[in-house]
Amino acid sequence: MPTVRLRDAGEYPEPIQKLFEVAKAWFKYDFAQPPAMSRVMAWDPELGAFHGRAMKRAMTPGEFSRAEKEMVAAVVSGVNACAY
Amino acid sequence: MAGDAPWYEAALLVGVTNALNVVADSPLESLEPPSPSAEAQTVFADIRAFYDRADVPVPFRRVASDPGYLTDLWGATRRVFADNTLTRRHKEALAFAVSVTTRSSFGTAFRLAEMRRLGVGERGVMEVLGVTQMFSSYTKIADTLQLEPDMDHIAAADPSPAPGGTPPAPRTRPPEAP
Repeated sequence: MPTVRLRDAGEYPEPIQKLFEVAKAWFKYDFAQPPAMSRVMAWDPELGAFHGRAMKRAMTPGEFSRAEKEMVAAVVSGVNACAY
Repeated sequence: MAGDAPWYEAALLVGVTNALNVVADSPLESLEPPSPSAEAQTVFADIRAFYDRADVPVPFRRVASDPGYLTDLWGATRRVFADNTLTRRHKEALAFAVSVTTRSSFGTAFRLAEMRRLGVGERGVMEVLGVTQMFSSYTKIADTLQLEPDMDHIAAADPSPAPGGTPPAPRTRPPEAP
């Protein structure tokens, strides 16, 4: 159980809700609610913008494909024993 | 990257990578036999050829006093790092990410060198490092807030059987009460 109450998308201001739409497009999946991590990062939009851009820059296909990078991310998450 | 096969392969690689790193990063220099046996030398030759290098990486030298163990450790390592569903280049990138995440001095330097040897450029190295760093951030944020998985249903389950096996029998529904 999360240690904080995750706010529904509708509780965020309008500009942030537009960012949630961008996140939906990134994952190519129609979530009922944006992923918990998206909602956490949106709590501090300034940090979220920097962090999100860095993440997108890292995940964008380059020498490695998006799929290859998703696997790198999964491996790092596994090694960090992160269930999320 | 569809299906379970690449994920099984990646998980096995994570395990073997960590196994090599823990031995290499521990103060075990004294275990390296000064004159490895002929059997160990044969394995060393295969290791040098696989990595196209003159020396034998530390973790293998440290178990060389037991050639039988060395043979099997190398067999597992070779199997897990050879081209398969995942390419060797991608596997070295995964091993690099594991090594950075676990702060392995040996693994980080060794996998970085292997990635470069296999043709990964500075941009590619930075890509893997960036993903590693960003997800080292996300994972700790998620753990601190004890977030529960909410994206695990995106990928469809792989119905294929185990390698060489047969698919599961279709589940029959018990008759319903009239």
